[in-house]
Amino acid sequence: MTDAQKTIVVTGIGAVSPYGPNLSSLQAGMLAGQCALHPATELYPSFQGTVAAVSAWPSHAEGHRYSRTDRLAMAAARDAVAGLDGSGSALRESGIVMASTVAGLSEIDAEISRGPAAWYRQGGLSRAASYPVSRVAASVGEHLGIEGPACAVSVACASGAMAIALGANLLLDQAAPMVLAGGSDALCPFTLSGFNSLQALDTEPCRPFDQNRKGLNIGEGAAVLVLETLANAARRGARILAVLRGWAMTNDAFHPTAPHKDGAGLASCIQRALEMAECGVEEVGYVNAHGTGTPLNDVAEANAYQSAFRGRSRPIPVSSTKSYFGHCLGAAGALEAAITITAMQNSALFPTLRLTDPIESADIDWLRGELRRQPLPVAMSVSAGFGGSNAALVFGSHRI
Amino acid sequence: MNTTWPVLTGIGSVTPYGPLAGLIPAELLEPGTITAWTTPGLRRAFLVEPFRPAAVVPGLKTRRLDRLSAWALVASSLALQDAGVDLNLIDRSSIAVFFATGFGCVELTEAFFQSAAANGWAGTDPITFPETLGNAPASHVALFHDLRGPNVTISSKSFAAESALLQAASLLRHGQADLAVVLAGDTLTQAVYEWYEAAHLLAPACFSNEPTFSADGFIPGEGVVAMVLEPAGRQTARSYAALGAGRWAADGDARAAVRQLLGDARLDFVICAGNGAPCSSTAEAYPARDLVGEDTAIYPAQAAAAGMGEAGALLHLLLALSKRPGQGQALLLGRSAHGGYAALRLELF
Repeated sequence: MTDAQKTIVVTGIGAVSPYGPNLSSLQAGMLAGQCALHPATELYPSFQGTVAAVSAWPSHAEGHRYSRTDRLAMAAARDAVAGLDGSGSALRESGIVMASTVAGLSEIDAEISRGPAAWYRQGGLSRAASYPVSRVAASVGEHLGIEGPACAVSVACASGAMAIALGANLLLDQAAPMVLAGGSDALCPFTLSGFNSLQALDTEPCRPFDQNRKGLNIGEGAAVLVLETLANAARRGARILAVLRGWAMTNDAFHPTAPHKDGAGLASCIQRALEMAECGVEEVGYVNAHGTGTPLNDVAEANAYQSAFRGRSRPIPVSSTKSYFGHCLGAAGALEAAITITAMQNSALFPTLRLTDPIESADIDWLRGELRRQPLPVAMSVSAGFGGSNAALVFGSHRI
Repeated sequence: MNTTWPVLTGIGSVTPYGPLAGLIPAELLEPGTITAWTTPGLRRAFLVEPFRPAAVVPGLKTRRLDRLSAWALVASSLALQDAGVDLNLIDRSSIAVFFATGFGCVELTEAFFQSAAANGWAGTDPITFPETLGNAPASHVALFHDLRGPNVTISSKSFAAESALLQAASLLRHGQADLAVVLAGDTLTQAVYEWYEAAHLLAPACFSNEPTFSADGFIPGEGVVAMVLEPAGRQTARSYAALGAGRWAADGDARAAVRQLLGDARLDFVICAGNGAPCSSTAEAYPARDLVGEDTAIYPAQAAAAGMGEAGALLHLLLALSKRPGQGQALLLGRSAHGGYAALRLELF
């Protein structure tokens, strides 16, 4: 394989977020520093908390064949391929790797547990058909007429970043000429209730990396990246948005829900991604952190950055963009990859909102306050999740 | 075959054949009667008989786990044991876990819904919630064996297990892992079974004691199969097979893909993985012959494995290996009713 066949590039990005139905609305909202978090009672009257919902989209116009998660994924994928020129049959033969944790759970009522057969007879049959997580990838394929290899990834909150990593591997394997990789998750009572039962939610807008952080807010959305090899992109004259220079996946093997306090698994993941990217710690200009705002995650993550970026001459700039529109679970890693590339394209380092009293660390430059403008040739997006899974993606700008 | 392809060195399974290390006695299996919930008459499926995991894997604690997680722990332990892998001699940060499933931890998802129905959404069980996540079984495998490499749970319409095998092999080839434990499985619950029934997908043999040979509908099944993949030449145990190139697609020209995959290679066996397809006891009922020559032996899809749907291919492969069709070049071939296909070249040892 030539270098061009081994170099993975991003040639399309699509997103649906609480800011709107496309990437440009997400970028505009983020660059304006808008917070999209709202009281949950607007959607779920009995739930005291804060969420970020996608409003006015997607509708149930196509019935219950597709779940809300499916429809978010389909809209983001459509946005991602909207600007593709000259893709021709490559798009039809593309691979699809979509992440989700909720998938069709959003369509299922608790009443199913009182008697499944009766619930199916009363209209639940088609709604339940959208339950399997594989439906999210299949829906994108059906929507865009894509026939290549398709799979869905469900690795809790690291899912979205892992989908991108696995999509890149499919390209290295020459399993498809292009891969649509991303994640999608809808808000639903099941997950709100679950995180609430774990006392992991902040009822107010979350404050990642703040010493007074109390937990996370749940959001919803989807993002899809179009990945292809540099050789394929060059052949069709595609505009290259970023280079995926490195990626890695690890597991803490420590606890079913808690991260290892010293962040060893995440640090190892970051180091492996940097090794693949052939990138030194000095080169990374920004880390878009997982940064959920929970007491355990954020301290483990801070320790991971201290360990992984040891030896840098300057503190590593880090922020959590979950402070803008919450934690979109299986979509988070993909949305944050899109935001990381946006940061590179706009030479804009996003601050963490509401970060007034950061976790003490001399080695971390906690971004807060105003948007910081500086050239950003290399940036990293980091994700972690229940079950101890970690994923890291290193993006670089494309030099012609 | 390219010697850099990974080899399959260990097998563990928890299936209707029982919890077993290595090959299994692949006699014809009839479905069992469902007793775990009240049914409106006779209902049958390929069921895993209850067993105590700690009796199979000493020290294993599974009290709070979904059966899927418990079976994954047992199957992975048996597979590593069968492979002769001494985890103390391997860098565990380079061992990957790849888990393929159609429905994930559906048992505890149903339990969580029950707690919501009984207590409202504000009164759900915090211990149950994390165990409803799709990656719970794979993360328990990582935790129990201290495996700190990539830990991935995937699902793919009709071809989750084939996809997991191919993607795990890819991790080995690209140096992203030194060893991989690939698992595929699902559990059968009332909500899943009754959905199949309401959707009119079940075979007549689900409702009566007739033989399973009907090609009309399928008989749901459950279980987990685990396989250990290692780079060729580095294994300590004997190998069952080497995994070659593969393809899978949601739609398209399966014939062209298989031809491209095989090139000039002579094929000795086709192992049919009839995931989600009607069960069948005959090769003729399964459209593999149109893809390969007349002199290629066809090992037909097996009802017990087909019942596991998109997670069934590892059991299809295990049953075929257990039948010991002989040495040579083989193709694991799955086709879906929707035009999709999965094809994986193997060299059987």
